[in-house]
Amino acid sequence: MSTHAATAPAALPSESKSSSCACAGKALGVGVAGIALTIIGLFVSDGHAVALSWLTGVTFWTAIAIGMLMLVMIHHILDASWSVVLRRQFEHGLAAFPWLALLFSPLVIVSLTGTHDYIWSWMNPEHVIHGGHTVGHDPLYVKKAGFLNLPMFVAMTALCFIVWIWLSARLRKASFSQDLDGDLKWTFMNRKTAAFGLALGAVTLTLASIYWIKSLEYHWFSTMFGVWFFANCVRGALSIGVLMLLCLYVRGDLKGILNTNHLHSVGMLIFAFTVFWAYVTFSQYFLIWNANVPEETFWYNLREITKDGAPSQWKYVGMLILFGHFLFPFLYLLSYKNKIIHGRIKPIVIWILLIIAVDLIYNIMPVLKADHGHGDPLPFLSINLLWTATSIIGVGGVFFWAYLKSFPKAKLIPIRDPRINECLTHHE
Amino acid sequence: MAAKPYGLIATFETTPDVYHAAEKVRDAGYKNWDCITPFPIHGLDGAMGVKRSNVPKFSLCGGLLGFTTGMSLIYWTSAVNYPLVVGGKPYFSPLYAFPVSYELTILFTAFATIGGMFFLNRLPMHYHPVLKSDKIVSGMDDKFHIVIESSDPKFNLAHTKALLEQAGGKDIQELEA
Repeated sequence: MSTHAATAPAALPSESKSSSCACAGKALGVGVAGIALTIIGLFVSDGHAVALSWLTGVTFWTAIAIGMLMLVMIHHILDASWSVVLRRQFEHGLAAFPWLALLFSPLVIVSLTGTHDYIWSWMNPEHVIHGGHTVGHDPLYVKKAGFLNLPMFVAMTALCFIVWIWLSARLRKASFSQDLDGDLKWTFMNRKTAAFGLALGAVTLTLASIYWIKSLEYHWFSTMFGVWFFANCVRGALSIGVLMLLCLYVRGDLKGILNTNHLHSVGMLIFAFTVFWAYVTFSQYFLIWNANVPEETFWYNLREITKDGAPSQWKYVGMLILFGHFLFPFLYLLSYKNKIIHGRIKPIVIWILLIIAVDLIYNIMPVLKADHGHGDPLPFLSINLLWTATSIIGVGGVFFWAYLKSFPKAKLIPIRDPRINECLTHHE
Repeated sequence: MAAKPYGLIATFETTPDVYHAAEKVRDAGYKNWDCITPFPIHGLDGAMGVKRSNVPKFSLCGGLLGFTTGMSLIYWTSAVNYPLVVGGKPYFSPLYAFPVSYELTILFTAFATIGGMFFLNRLPMHYHPVLKSDKIVSGMDDKFHIVIESSDPKFNLAHTKALLEQAGGKDIQELEA
């Protein structure tokens, strides 16, 4: 590392403040519209279904924000150079965490004030489970009760968001301050934040995935679940990152800054996490398939067959995930050209974002049973899919509003980052 | 000695010199030539007009071969040659063949990649005419060289020499074959 912070030689276009503000307004409009439609859903559909749709929407964008947080910290801990330009976009994305916490809060409030088994059935000890006895008398719950109880749930959810918001604020402040004074202490500060932040991030994202998603079926066991969630987080963040870079390039901001080697590097990382996601997801399935224990297999049975043993819609969703989440992106991203040509990388990252949403739906929605009790899961193609879509659009609008509001607050790229020259001349 | 020389070697003092000279040699349409530099120069592959490597094609073939080897090995051993019921599972399922296939995919890809690299680079190469020249010593220290081989269809002793001179090459010498 040089002793003096470098200054970018490239001509830096000044940020067009007004245009990003106009976009922010539009994003907020889309977000509010999505949220309004989801609220309408509460009057049309069953509240339980809409709540789970909302959980899917908030989790999707929180996962992307977590992925951005982890990638920024991985960038700092490895002293990476190629990703300096991409990192700035992630730092803007981190501004969404407080709003995601706000959007998650209705689920907590409903759990605290409404019927406790509204979303997470284990919250109500009186909830009658399959076989006739209640959650409170269920040995599988009693053993997990120290972890799965309402105060713990609220405290852990709050803790997760506090950790993410705090880490984001530290990383953003140091990076943005360096734009102004070029002091290297900010780089070192971020490296230290990353050193403990990565551990905190790993623990909190695992806790969040277990409490929010996995505990929906609290009988189930899987030691892979947090890792599965992490793989989706990072893939989602990288895909959104590519879209942000391409949009800024088309708008003209990154002309002369973004080169094919940046896209090649991001593409390789998306490819690596495609394999990682598949490795983790396959391991989870394979271990359960191999052991063949009812406490574990029921989770996949719910997503494969009806009570009569006929294949359900979820089976085909599972197949879509197998081929669309792994095989297709895997084969597509093997090619060098598919990673560097803008028109070719763009469709695949959009596809990956869509299929991540499907993966979350596959993990969350089958908890909805036909008769509110113990029937077959409601099918994938139902009105609930609409509420999931409006939730994702609604939370997404707020996410991009936060991103665009943060965008004019700092330089387009970290011009005084000590690694900026290496990034601008990034070579294979 | 009237034998045809192996080629011509020119010396350059700085990185930009050799970079721009490489662009000139590329634009003159030469194919069998190379740069000798003490360290990697970013972008020199572009200046030389070198296409992307063909090694990934070897890797892909290795990977496909590894995957099919793994799948067929497990199929043949557990469903054909010695069928055995284990844990109530079917004789063959791609699920439990997958870990083996996955490992063999990686193993065969690695072998094919390194093998393909050696093959395309024509390694191991125990002798190269450039090694006979004392230039190679400075080319591994602080000077830059361009070697144009006489096997190139465009090679013409006088013309090629003129090109190298015009590109800024110093101390142009013929290399003994």
